[in-house]
Amino acid sequence: MGQNERVPSLLLIEDDDAIRTALELSLTRQGHRVATAASGEDGLKLLREQRPDLIVLDVMLPGIDGFEVCRRIRRTDQLPIILLTARSDDIDVVVGLESGADDYVVKPIQGRVLDARIRAVLRRGERESTDAASFGSLVIDRAAMTVTKNGEDLQLTPTELRLLLELSRRPGQALSRQQLLRLVWEHDYLGDSRLVDACVQRLRAKVEDVPSSPTLIRTVRGVGYRLDAPQ
Amino acid sequence: MTQAHQGGAHGWTGARKGVLSRLRFTSLRLRLVVVFGLVALTAAVSASAIAYWLNREAVLTRTQDAVLRDFEQEMQNRAGALPERPTQDELQHTAGQMAGSDQRFSVLLVGRDTEGRTVYGSSGGLNGFSLRDVPKSLRTAVNRTQKVDGANKYPYHLYWQRIVDHDTPYLVAGTRVIGGGPTGYMLKSLEPEAKDLNSLAWSLGIATGLALIGSALLAQAAATTVLKPVQRLGTAARRLGEGKLDTRLRVSGTDELADLSRTFNYAAEALEKRVEDMAARDEASRRFVADMSHELRTPLTAITAVTEILEEELEAETGSMDPMIEPAVRLVVSETRRLNDLVENLMEVTRFDAGTARLVLDDVDLADQITACIDARAWLDAVELDAERGLHARLDPRRLDVILANLIGNALKHGGSPVRVSVREADDSIVIEVQDHGPGIPEDVLPHVFDRFYKASASRPRSEGSGLGLSIALENAHIHGGEITAANSPDSGAVFTLRLPRGTSPAEEQPAEDELGQDSGTDRPQGEDSKGDA
Repeated sequence: MGQNERVPSLLLIEDDDAIRTALELSLTRQGHRVATAASGEDGLKLLREQRPDLIVLDVMLPGIDGFEVCRRIRRTDQLPIILLTARSDDIDVVVGLESGADDYVVKPIQGRVLDARIRAVLRRGERESTDAASFGSLVIDRAAMTVTKNGEDLQLTPTELRLLLELSRRPGQALSRQQLLRLVWEHDYLGDSRLVDACVQRLRAKVEDVPSSPTLIRTVRGVGYRLDAPQ
Repeated sequence: MTQAHQGGAHGWTGARKGVLSRLRFTSLRLRLVVVFGLVALTAAVSASAIAYWLNREAVLTRTQDAVLRDFEQEMQNRAGALPERPTQDELQHTAGQMAGSDQRFSVLLVGRDTEGRTVYGSSGGLNGFSLRDVPKSLRTAVNRTQKVDGANKYPYHLYWQRIVDHDTPYLVAGTRVIGGGPTGYMLKSLEPEAKDLNSLAWSLGIATGLALIGSALLAQAAATTVLKPVQRLGTAARRLGEGKLDTRLRVSGTDELADLSRTFNYAAEALEKRVEDMAARDEASRRFVADMSHELRTPLTAITAVTEILEEELEAETGSMDPMIEPAVRLVVSETRRLNDLVENLMEVTRFDAGTARLVLDDVDLADQITACIDARAWLDAVELDAERGLHARLDPRRLDVILANLIGNALKHGGSPVRVSVREADDSIVIEVQDHGPGIPEDVLPHVFDRFYKASASRPRSEGSGLGLSIALENAHIHGGEITAANSPDSGAVFTLRLPRGTSPAEEQPAEDELGQDSGTDRPQGEDSKGDA
């Protein structure tokens, strides 16, 4: 609970002055500490100087774009990232999710929605139970919030970790995308199931022996996903 | 039953149409063949007839002249040498001599002997050539004595006639020896000549037949040279009609058909250019709307973010804001929301226009989804939902929500509550009916309810939504392969019927995601290419 009392620090990367100012104003009012950057390069520099808890990243940026910034951060860091996208470009969402974003918010952005998403993402890192479970070579330590595979620590983002935790809590049981959206992302009934698909994809890349033929996180056609212990 | 019957009738009509069109197609060919044939027939028959007639005259005249000259000669030399009153034997002998000439004709000599009896001498004996074989008219002409004057030096002339006896043509001639003597007749068979002429006629007939066959073949060839390009032109015109505007014909030659092909090409080119121009203009205006809504969105994002601060200020304890300013702030907040909706709808419309709208399919429990949609908009009290639980369909939940929100919102706005929403299954589709209890939709407005920015009357207040809602709902139904229809219920109120396919067909279904061993992209959402193109 101690984490909640600490004021979360955010890094907002947005090139449009008006939007940046307005969002900074709105988010500060919601009780966040906000650092801002006007370009991807500045944002990455700022990220190295001060470690924020979360990054709010605009997709359309001059110079290196949001996707590239996202990819660069993911190379070294499991920091939660929320994308600001224009829904006109459905492809944007897919590319954004594939480049490693945890969630996205569509412009024009309502401050409250963004705030809710930020809080939901931050909550994913919280620990709640104190047991461990193992699935073959994969060991999930819920107390330490760590996942090891063959004894090696896996670097999971809070979202990936939360997804794995939710799946591991009900082993062998299929969870629909909508269920997972509610459990992991805390989205309402209109959640975008692509978030789940993209996150499962990334998670498989980290936990499966052969990500293209998964043995742990299985797809249940027409329903969703299921965590199986390998036979 | 009725369906099957209609189907059969349709098939039959179709088959008949096919046969008719083929007949009509060949009729030009048929006409060409007939005309060619008639021309060839007329030409060949008239040429043959003239040739036959000329030949016949020439052959007959030549034979006849020779025979008659010979006969005349013989009459002079032999019959003229007889005594004035010869005996039967003398006549017989002379007739035999005369018949012995080159021309092989039979001779009959008629005279009077000394006792005044008529005596006959025939070359073929008594059974041969007799006076019975000579036509009476000829006998009369031969025996008639003619007046001798300047123009006519002789009292008797040589007369001839062609007769047919037992299908054999003969030449009969007769004359009298001038200065008294026997009357001589001769009979010459024209059978060899007739045979010659017959074989000529046969040859001419065969030639005519050949000419007819030749003309038919020529007509076929001509028809083919004409009809092939016509057929090509027809095919090209059909392709053009189907929208393949780049259809062109190969122009060869300089005839009228080549001209026609060239004209077709010009027309197709002009049409293509025109359509391209129009498409470009259309594209430009769509582009403009898309760009404009994009441009509007950036400042709107900033405004929206700040408006919320104002809104919170309003919701906070009263008195914290100047009462003079409060209505102004309220107006800004509500109009910003409206502007947001409008821009969002505009963007949605441009996505459909540009064909970039994508489906994100998921398994949806319809009752849950509709309840959530109604709940989220605080419409629970105003909407009666008649849907059994457990009805699932593979849909884009966000788009279904847009459709439902627009249909129900529209019903609430124009019809008033209670709005009845019912869900049922029909074959492979899901049918959702939204019925209100209002006055219904005027008949003249009904065809336009899905038009963009259509206002039933100019006086309608402007604060009734973006004017895009139903249009967007329809587009969203179309992209699912579904349909929305508007009608008036016989009871009262308007009924909007949404029909959506229950699930994607196997062809549209994404391949099994993981078990197939595919990597990135497979788990990429069930997004599929937009089907609606509107």
